[in-house]
Amino acid sequence: MSSDELVFVRTIELPDMIAYAGATWDWHKLHYDSAYLASRGLDRPVVDGQVFGAYLAIALREWFGAEAVISALSFRFKNLVFAGETIRCVGVPSESAAASATASRKIEIDLRVEVVEDGRIAVAPASATLTVP
Amino acid sequence: MTLLSPSLLDRIGEEVVYTAPEPLGRAAIRYFALATGDTDPAHLAGDIAPPTLICETNQYANLPRDTDGYAGHGWHLDVPGTRLVRGGNAYRFERPVLPSTVVTARWKLADITERVTGSGKRMLVVTSVATYTDQHGLVLVVNEESLIYVER
Repeated sequence: MSSDELVFVRTIELPDMIAYAGATWDWHKLHYDSAYLASRGLDRPVVDGQVFGAYLAIALREWFGAEAVISALSFRFKNLVFAGETIRCVGVPSESAAASATASRKIEIDLRVEVVEDGRIAVAPASATLTVP
Repeated sequence: MTLLSPSLLDRIGEEVVYTAPEPLGRAAIRYFALATGDTDPAHLAGDIAPPTLICETNQYANLPRDTDGYAGHGWHLDVPGTRLVRGGNAYRFERPVLPSTVVTARWKLADITERVTGSGKRMLVVTSVATYTDQHGLVLVVNEESLIYVER
């Protein structure tokens, strides 16, 4: 990991996933039902991929402040993440953003989500555009 | 033999519109913030929704859950001999979403294309565009989503 990278770490336990399922009205059995998972050759509940959008948005505001306005966020899924795993959201601001120092600046940032335990990539490529006052 | 049958091609351009039966609400915003570990005071108070909330929730759809337990929008495409995986999302945020917002989501089946994976398996990439508007018709968020049907 280079020193230019911004990092946000989160462990996703099953209760986090249950809470997220309730909050999003998404009750897909993939996220909690052990019999359903076993019938598909999976031994642990699968983290809902959509939550990585939420985590990336939280990470961006932690890195750039609560006043940062996100105008675009895109991400592609690479690998499943399972209950109990820890993920690391990594951000690398673009060169143009790093060079800009005006009061309000537009930042383009490349993002990815890795699984801490084995380094596999959960989400990439990903990117965001935001404005920081 | 192509995965992209004429009946699937005919589906391109299809649209479905859902309007939430109630305003989003402070409780829904606060619950989402708590569930995602969001520390933003405005989100935790339910004053303003975290940006991705309306792209992630099925609240507006008001659909019964299916046999998998899922209660959100789907196109229910029949692609024999494949498994479905998520491709990704691209969100464009236009306006903040408030507890008083009544969300309408207009889903469009924008495209279906057939490709081959690196390992030689055929797959269909289904691209949908969801445009979320408020009760005044103002665009809140545009969400381009890809789902992939991969040959088993």
